[in-house]
Amino acid sequence: MTLTRRSFLTAAGLGVAALGSAASCTSPTTANPGKLTLWYTSGGLADQVVADAQQRFGADGLYPSQVSGQLKQRLLAALSGEAYLPDITMLGDDIATYFADSAHFADLRNFGADTVKDHYLPWKWQAGTAPDGFQLGFPIDIGPAALYYRHDLFAQAGFPSEPDDVAAAVPTWDAYFDFGRRLQEKLPGRHLITDTKTVYTYSMAQEPQKYFAPGNAYLGDAPQVRRAWDRALTAFRSGLTAGYAGSQDPGTSIERHAAWNSGKELSFVNASWIVGELKKSAPDTAGKWRVCRSPGGAGNQGGSFLAITKYCPRPDRAYEVVRWLLSPENQPRSYLEAGLFPTSPAAFDDPRLLAPEPFFGGQATMSVLAHAAREVKPAYFSPWDIGISDAFTDELTNVELAGKDPGQAWDDARRSVERLLTRQGVL
Amino acid sequence: MATLTRPATPVLTPVPRRRKRWRYLPQYLAVAPFFVLFAVFGLYPVLYSLFLALQRWDGVGPMKFVGLGNFEFLVTDPVFWDSIGNTLIIWVMSTIPMTALALLIAVGLHSSIRFKGVFRVAYFLPNVTSIVAMSLVFGSIFSSEFGILNWFFGLFGIDPVPWLTDPWAIRVAISIMILWRWVGYNAIIFLAGLQALPSDVYEAARVDGAGPVRTFFRITLPLLRPVLLFSVVMSAISGLQIFTESQILLGNRGGPDEAGMTMVLYFYNNAFVNNDFGYGAAIAWGIFVVVVLFAILNWRLIQRPGFLKAGR
Repeated sequence: MTLTRRSFLTAAGLGVAALGSAASCTSPTTANPGKLTLWYTSGGLADQVVADAQQRFGADGLYPSQVSGQLKQRLLAALSGEAYLPDITMLGDDIATYFADSAHFADLRNFGADTVKDHYLPWKWQAGTAPDGFQLGFPIDIGPAALYYRHDLFAQAGFPSEPDDVAAAVPTWDAYFDFGRRLQEKLPGRHLITDTKTVYTYSMAQEPQKYFAPGNAYLGDAPQVRRAWDRALTAFRSGLTAGYAGSQDPGTSIERHAAWNSGKELSFVNASWIVGELKKSAPDTAGKWRVCRSPGGAGNQGGSFLAITKYCPRPDRAYEVVRWLLSPENQPRSYLEAGLFPTSPAAFDDPRLLAPEPFFGGQATMSVLAHAAREVKPAYFSPWDIGISDAFTDELTNVELAGKDPGQAWDDARRSVERLLTRQGVL
Repeated sequence: MATLTRPATPVLTPVPRRRKRWRYLPQYLAVAPFFVLFAVFGLYPVLYSLFLALQRWDGVGPMKFVGLGNFEFLVTDPVFWDSIGNTLIIWVMSTIPMTALALLIAVGLHSSIRFKGVFRVAYFLPNVTSIVAMSLVFGSIFSSEFGILNWFFGLFGIDPVPWLTDPWAIRVAISIMILWRWVGYNAIIFLAGLQALPSDVYEAARVDGAGPVRTFFRITLPLLRPVLLFSVVMSAISGLQIFTESQILLGNRGGPDEAGMTMVLYFYNNAFVNNDFGYGAAIAWGIFVVVVLFAILNWRLIQRPGFLKAGR
């Protein structure tokens, strides 16, 4: 057919009409009707385990879909449009922000989640439970904090260097700061703490109470907040912090990576998920690192969940998928493949995870990390915790890098938290 | 029945009303795609964001009407005012050196040198490079202790500059990135302007004995004024939207002292990181007001009598 003006216009008219009729059709509620769509971030689940699940639940049409980076944005858009939703979705450590809207999700208790509850760390299980008992999240992984340090450099300076000895030398943050000051005299120009934000974040992670009491009552000037703030300032004033730019943002922490390679970062407190980054960006330091208990005790930072949306037509099958993916039997594989720290204590005793690790000079780090994981105290998290924490750590960064007066910074942090909570209608 | 009393036009046969209305249907259909798309993806979001600015909404739960509450917060929000300041500072710090440099390059390219085409392409390349890739590279360049820039400074005995941690150094770093990206683009625009200048004026100047420097300031620059103005307006448009450079270089929170927190980054941070969509929409409208003020300023500048004809 030759393209005449008439045929072109007819085609264009038909096209517009087709658009109109397509728009009047209802969009599917789930992303792939008839299948079980699973949304997860890259590295959020172990690919091998997901591939096995796909084999196993092929009859149910399991359809894993890796959403890069912006999973939360996509989920919010799908939820508010009630279209193209996943059947199963990953939720981050901000799971508390979904508790008020649990109507969009399925209560995992309806499928017998209570029967497997005891296989998981109680504090982690609780973090996925809404205040009214609604079981929203099924635990994927956690981030127990520990002290990572350079065994070779500690020994070279004549300081305790074996994990048990180091742990005994730095039971508290104050002891750690004191240890750091003495060590820095021997090894000038190096640092034992990444930045003030690390001290604040991991100090808060160790506290059984955060910013809110259950029932979302704001605790205001709680002593634990002031304690974490003061600790961060002490570390800064003692010259222990390196203060790298963007050291907490994956991908931009170039300075920190360089410091790992050059041995300028002698030690740091971090959640276990840092190990993958450490191995990847400082492969030449293999064998020189060790891990011991964090000063100040056990704490957790980060960790994710799987949840089932209410729109899933076969939630019982979806639950079977979730339960299998995150079963105590599969968790060791996820840890070995993707560094997802097990949420089931049964996995801590898996011989594969207790094997000596060459990167840590033959140390079996699982024993240290598992101990920390078991000791974490259950805490109440509000939907605003992350925003509040950011307000404080931003101001600490201003003190550390922009020379802001600490008193002024504290006042500003409190004011910005107050503004945030007022705007959210909490205060 | 009034139509019957009027004498019928002799040449044109009267067209029935119904047919007349549909007569231009193909034409309307032909232009419809733009209007349909604009209504769906342009007009609707604009109006909806105004509605959203009056709500408190986390993106999932029910919206709560808060009236002008978000705007009340906006005008008393120190970070928002800082972000306007940062945006303007970064814009000025990037635009002025960029314009000067672009002019220099354009004059260089205009003179008879070899491999002209190669240079033109080379200068334009940064403009079409992915900003994200570029920002990652610049992250390494600006690294305080291990960056190539500080290493280079070290060769001349200059102390390392904390590019990504000092508030002012951050702004300079972002400005340098913008400069790098847009200098070639503007140089090509200026070059086009230069090539359009009449040669008789230059010949007259040469006859009168004017040197190259004098010619440049007395003839080239005044004649280029409309082109310069275009370039400043364009850079204002992109300058008010500075986002990616800051975000990739410093993260969502703008770095120490929020020195790299620009208006658009603050909007993004509130709407898409903190999921405070109502406040995000209010910030977007705040940005709109700033942009309108800028547009008025630009307009007044152009409307000034004799502005475009200056130099003649």
